[in-house]
Amino acid sequence: MNSRVILITGANGGLGQAIARAFLAESPQNIVWLGVRSRREQAESASRESPDRCRLLDLEVTSAAAWHLGVQAIVGDCQRLDVLVNNAGQHQDGLLAQLSWNSWREVLSANLDSTFLGCQAVLPTMISQRAGRIVNVASLSALLAPAGQTNYSAAKAGVVALTRSLAKEVARIGITVNAVCPGYVQTGALADLNEEARAAALSRIPMRRFGQPEEIAAAVRFLACPEASYITGSVLKVDGGIL
Amino acid sequence: MMVENLMLQVPTTEIADDQPLFGPGSLGLDSVDALQLVVALEKHFGLKIPDPAAAREILQNVGTIVSAVQKKLAGAA
Repeated sequence: MNSRVILITGANGGLGQAIARAFLAESPQNIVWLGVRSRREQAESASRESPDRCRLLDLEVTSAAAWHLGVQAIVGDCQRLDVLVNNAGQHQDGLLAQLSWNSWREVLSANLDSTFLGCQAVLPTMISQRAGRIVNVASLSALLAPAGQTNYSAAKAGVVALTRSLAKEVARIGITVNAVCPGYVQTGALADLNEEARAAALSRIPMRRFGQPEEIAAAVRFLACPEASYITGSVLKVDGGIL
Repeated sequence: MMVENLMLQVPTTEIADDQPLFGPGSLGLDSVDALQLVVALEKHFGLKIPDPAAAREILQNVGTIVSAVQKKLAGAA
């Protein structure tokens, strides 16, 4: 496979790190840029292990200016950008009746605005290349909309709709845009659930186990691979059979 | 540049300088073609088209695009 230049946002968390490893393993020539902001220990460690192929990028994903500078830095260094994985996100759960305006706005911004800004920032480069892959990490919450996640579900549902709409806009330019909807994944966020909540979650999963970050990363990498050239506007659930 | 970037099936010799690019009686380009043109003009000539209103002005036909590029290059000289 030819070398590719990949940018992954939210690259410090368990899922971001797994996605980075998947692309590094895909080809010894790939260069993976890890978009991070405040939390960066895992990303720094990955970058130290493969300094030639794994680079840190300070990126405030809710800032258009930061995105512009970040993409400029990548293209200045590598002369191309082949894959964007919009993985950054956050949730602040609570019942809508008690949710603060800040909780609503921050979650919409971190999940949906960031995806919009990221896509807009990379498109000129990908249009110029007449090639590109954008994979947006949404969530099963976009489709199931569980109670206590009106903000997160709305944001991720927005990511799904943005994905499908943008895919149509850029399809004939050789750019594919797809979304992955992970279900319950064994990451730090799941560790916050108490025993009762974990048992309840497991009982809803036909596979009776949580997903591993590597399993989600494999789906992301598949949608971004050259062989997925006729797949665009798709929403791939990776959920152990819940939906 | 236009024929190549937009993969038009029309030879350059058949595109008159004043033929509209969009709308009735035009070359039949659409908004996605306009997007590609905007990106290509910036890449090849450094000509930034800042908003849709400017795009409508500059992308009327080959003649208006050439004028905009010439103005940009003269300004840069």
